[in-house]
Amino acid sequence: MLEIRNLHKKYGRFNAVNDLNLSIKEGEIFGFVGPNGAGKSTTMKIICGLLPATSGEVSVDGVDALRHNNKIKEKIGYMPDFFGVYDDLKVDEYLDFYASIYKIKEANKRKTISDLLELVDLGHKRDAYVDNLSRGMKQRLCLARSLIHNPRLLILDEPASGLDPRARVEMKAILKNLKDMGKTILISSHILSELAEMCTSIGVIDNGKIVISGTVSEIMQQIYSKKLIKIKVNDKLEEAVLILKEFPFIEKITTGENLIQAGFDGGDEDMSRVLNALVTRAIPVATFAQLDGNLEDVFMKVTKGGEER
Amino acid sequence: MIINPVLLKEIKVKMRSWKAVGIIGGYLFVLAAVALFITYANSVDMYSSTINPQFSIGAYTGIAVIQFILILFIAPALTAGAVAGERERQTLDLLLCTNLAPRSIVIGKLLASMSHILILIIASVPMFSIVFLYGGISIVEISQLFGFYIVTAIMAGSIGIFFSTYVKRTIAATVLTYALGIFMCFGTIFIAVFYLRIFYNFDYQNYFPLFYINPLAGFSSLLTEQFGGQYGGILNMIPGLYMVNNGATKGMAPWLINTYVNIAISVIMLFLAAMKINPVRGSLFSFLKKR
Repeated sequence: MLEIRNLHKKYGRFNAVNDLNLSIKEGEIFGFVGPNGAGKSTTMKIICGLLPATSGEVSVDGVDALRHNNKIKEKIGYMPDFFGVYDDLKVDEYLDFYASIYKIKEANKRKTISDLLELVDLGHKRDAYVDNLSRGMKQRLCLARSLIHNPRLLILDEPASGLDPRARVEMKAILKNLKDMGKTILISSHILSELAEMCTSIGVIDNGKIVISGTVSEIMQQIYSKKLIKIKVNDKLEEAVLILKEFPFIEKITTGENLIQAGFDGGDEDMSRVLNALVTRAIPVATFAQLDGNLEDVFMKVTKGGEER
Repeated sequence: MIINPVLLKEIKVKMRSWKAVGIIGGYLFVLAAVALFITYANSVDMYSSTINPQFSIGAYTGIAVIQFILILFIAPALTAGAVAGERERQTLDLLLCTNLAPRSIVIGKLLASMSHILILIIASVPMFSIVFLYGGISIVEISQLFGFYIVTAIMAGSIGIFFSTYVKRTIAATVLTYALGIFMCFGTIFIAVFYLRIFYNFDYQNYFPLFYINPLAGFSSLLTEQFGGQYGGILNMIPGLYMVNNGATKGMAPWLINTYVNIAISVIMLFLAAMKINPVRGSLFSFLKKR
């Protein structure tokens, strides 16, 4: 559905997007993760035709998006990371305005608007002025606007930014609905755990480049080639460390207060052998667990604290 | 018929606000005050049985001049924030990523403002009826005047739209629009006076070419011609400046040329504005960037 090859965007000498490559299949939900200034919004704007690219190729549904920008506008629904609403219009009029732009026939317009307002749970606010909506409602209205022409590809730039936890949950539920409707979605967010739940694949962008991409499990595997185990003991910490060193598949042992953390390159049987050895030699084990890496760890690891650049 | 959606939305929003009511009310109040003043000034001699033939011309000129000045002030104010306001509200990107062409956005914005001006002009028609009470002014002359108003308003509005796309803030766009307007109205007169003083010693006796971009000169020329080249041309008060070409009827009337120049300026301004807001445009001046 979306193919980006060797995309570059320069502002003077600054490379906002630097040789970016990306491929998103139809029906996929792709999470675009990266620190501020990494190039997420710039890439999204280039796809939507809101910024010219310096070089590279972008194709949407087989159409060259950089050369035939007008042909892809019907296929894309864009939601920026700001509200972009007319305060002096009513909710209904706001959607009606965009429906007119996309030349939706009068006969279908009413139904489309009603359906969209139901989808984003704003049916009861149809006659309210946009100015009187809460931030979360405005975000949802923006999402409804981006869907008014039934686009196949949705580009959502931080759709949950600045929302309270409840509004985030509501937004997440809507996105899940869209996923079920078969929309292809490119979504950027800093709320990485949420992306992990809803995205079929993720790309981490840093300094304008995709540094790692794939499904969540693939990324975890690439980053954490070895598992981590965490052992908490009530006593005999040094003795426990000596026992662990007897196993060749355990390495990089670090200790804290009654706490041991180590790299583990074995299977489940090896795991039980280690636990058995500790218990047999009377080590008072309080906790024995394998640590799961999370997306936040991945983010920090691959972007190397990109925020501090 | 498909009407420009930007125009429809703008009309809906503009007419809903108190600002629109205020502008129409204030505009009519000023015109009514002028009409009343002129009528009063001409009816002091109430026991006279004769009608002063100059009254209708004086009333017509007074109302026309005030209305023209009001339009020159209002048109840029309505358009200078049109695109800059979209940018400030962060709604411009949303419009640009739709399949609406940049030129449709620009034209929709201009037409919305012009519809407002049109309402002002139509609302002022009853004021001109005073003139008809006394005769001396024909429908053709009123039509010429209204036509000139509309073309001038489109030109002033197009300049507002142009600056609105080239600068990010509404205030800056408004200031620049008025600055250019002041140059066109008064700067050109200063240039003409200096030029004619130095090179012709005020013996030029023709419409100065730079006046073709001056709305005041065009307007003055229109009134001068409507009154047979003897009355109404305000700029005729400045020695050496001629509001008609020598012989008055030789060739096309200057105010008509002003009208065509205004249309040309409007087209150029709107073209540049549409080009500017197109995010993936090719720059007119790109050849300058090439080494």
